[in-house]
Amino acid sequence: MLAEVPLEEEVVLVRMDVAGEDVEPLLERGIVPGCRLCPVRHAPVGGPTVYSVDGCLVALRREIASCLCVRSALEAAGVLDSN
Amino acid sequence: MADSRPLVLLAGPPNSGKSTLFNSLTGLRQRVANYPGVTVERRSGVVRLASGRVELVDLPGVHGLSSRSLDQLVARRALLGEMEGGRRPDGLVILLDSTRLSSHLMVAESFLGLGIPTLVVLAMADELDRRDGAVEAAELSRELGVEVALVDARDPGTLGSVHSFFEALLTGGEEARACPAVAVADSHVAQSPARAPTRPLPVVDLFSARRDRARQLGRAAGYRAPRESVVTNRLDALALHRIWGPVVFLGVVALVFQTIFAWAMPLMDATEATIRISGRYLHGIMPDGWLRSLLIEGVWAGVGSVIVFLPQILILFFFIALMEDSGYMARAAVVADRLMHRVGLQGRSFLPLLSAYACAIPAIMSARAVEDERDRLATIFIAPFMTCSARLPVYALLIAAFVPAGPVLGPILGRQAAVLIGLYALGLVAAIGTAALLKRTLLRGRPLPFVMELPPYRMPSARSVATRLLDRAKVFLRRAGRIILAVTVVLWVLTQLPRTPDGGSPPIDESALGRMGQLIEPAIEPLGLDWRIGIGLVTSLAAREVIVGTLGTIYGVEAEDDTTLELRAALQRDMDLGSAVALLVFFAFALQCMSTVAVMRRETGGWRWPSLQFAYMLVLAYLGAWAAKSIL
Repeated sequence: MLAEVPLEEEVVLVRMDVAGEDVEPLLERGIVPGCRLCPVRHAPVGGPTVYSVDGCLVALRREIASCLCVRSALEAAGVLDSN
Repeated sequence: MADSRPLVLLAGPPNSGKSTLFNSLTGLRQRVANYPGVTVERRSGVVRLASGRVELVDLPGVHGLSSRSLDQLVARRALLGEMEGGRRPDGLVILLDSTRLSSHLMVAESFLGLGIPTLVVLAMADELDRRDGAVEAAELSRELGVEVALVDARDPGTLGSVHSFFEALLTGGEEARACPAVAVADSHVAQSPARAPTRPLPVVDLFSARRDRARQLGRAAGYRAPRESVVTNRLDALALHRIWGPVVFLGVVALVFQTIFAWAMPLMDATEATIRISGRYLHGIMPDGWLRSLLIEGVWAGVGSVIVFLPQILILFFFIALMEDSGYMARAAVVADRLMHRVGLQGRSFLPLLSAYACAIPAIMSARAVEDERDRLATIFIAPFMTCSARLPVYALLIAAFVPAGPVLGPILGRQAAVLIGLYALGLVAAIGTAALLKRTLLRGRPLPFVMELPPYRMPSARSVATRLLDRAKVFLRRAGRIILAVTVVLWVLTQLPRTPDGGSPPIDESALGRMGQLIEPAIEPLGLDWRIGIGLVTSLAAREVIVGTLGTIYGVEAEDDTTLELRAALQRDMDLGSAVALLVFFAFALQCMSTVAVMRRETGGWRWPSLQFAYMLVLAYLGAWAAKSIL
């Protein structure tokens, strides 16, 4: 899950376990399966985490980041290479 | 005739520099109003060109055109010709930030394919270039099938292609530019948003397709994303730092507080003095009679009581504009999010609530930044509990009269200051409690996920800040001024009737207003308050601090400020400590401000919320005051 990814590690979004219309604000900001996300910094006092998505910075609360299933970008690239 | 001018809509995602482009194109020829029936602001302006004029409407900044938010709904309906009095737009300008083109092209996909002559403007061209990014406008134009211009919205010299687009609309040469209808078949406009709760979600596929198309467009247009912004990186390292982030945040909050309370005071005093002196001058040159009394004691004093807050409100909006335009506002919302989340709100609610310590009106107006409608309503609802500056003269008078000076914490904190802090805390506790109550009852529901885009830091432009201040001042004066004018005229009439046998105005206790005070006396008697305070409570509906002047008139003392010793002495004769505290608590809770009610009606689109809030706060104020009186 995205919430577990350490800072500076690039990942690829695989699946979004977000209910119904809640998914739209994410999609509209480019958080779409297949996109690359990189946690850039954690906000102070346990606040949201800032992610870099396609050159934009987007802050997400932990409960949403916990619903986004990701895999390492390197691993994803490896899968592509082997294909 | 405005209708004969071509209507052009300006669309794009938030924080893409839309307002800057709008201001550059229209200058000061702008109007701000709400779209009919909804609370979304409509900014329109006129662009003057060699062959005529074009009406430009700045649509709310949106990431898409589903009907998830009011902003999106309005943008969508305006594009489909269901707004603007049913007029279909003659042209569309889509503004995208060229430094964030990959994601902004996804947004553009929603706006294309409407069969409207379209120009895509890529803003921040200078920054893209500076950070070694690149894009071929001509290639992108070929791919999109519409014209594409690369501009720096702040530099009018780069806006030639936008003007040419408008000229073409005016001279009727636009047919060739009309982009084909439904170039993108899966646009939200062509198809209402899928909201199926089960997976796989079609809406996800729709956006995936849109992202693929955006990437393909970017590749075809030779888009090279800019290097990471060093400035944004460094500033974020500070603004979102574990320790320094909250320090910077509190520093900004302290600066805003210090400015609106300490630095705005000389300006407010000067405004007040100007109103008083000019009132006296007019009083001197006008013949004695009812007209003079109406104009000077009614209209002049009433409207003056609103204008006096203008410096403070403008300073507050100056800070809001600086924070929004620089990009810090989004960071502040992220830093405050955790705290606000605990009371059921979100980070974006923080600044409106902070503003409410100066005045609830700008707070309610700036709550538009809160995207989630339930959170926005909750923010608006609790804003008047924050201790606004109009309460201070009332607090100062009563505290000085009933709370003896003396230390509580040695030289650091005096007893009077402690009571004042207590009153601030009382308002805050009531606000938090009310927010929690609302979110469990009327505004219950799953909140939208907190997704906050952090725009790159940018130097705010003086022109953009000045334009915003001007239109905020207009909205404030128009909304607050009108209702205050009406309320003060009604109150004046009530002090003038019934006329005495010789045709003069009656003493205040025999006037209609005095009788109203006597009428409500039984209701406020349990609070230890008499008919004189009753009159004050009625007049303070115009603005809270008006009660000080009213009490001065009733007690026959000239109370031009709250330090008047005679007024304090008169109050000490008529009230005991319990009733004074009851009155303080009443003012801490009651919504004694018709301007706030008027602005709230505008921002919530009806009387439901303001009526509910007025009643809720009145009941809370009464019960709180009764409890205080019973205890003391």
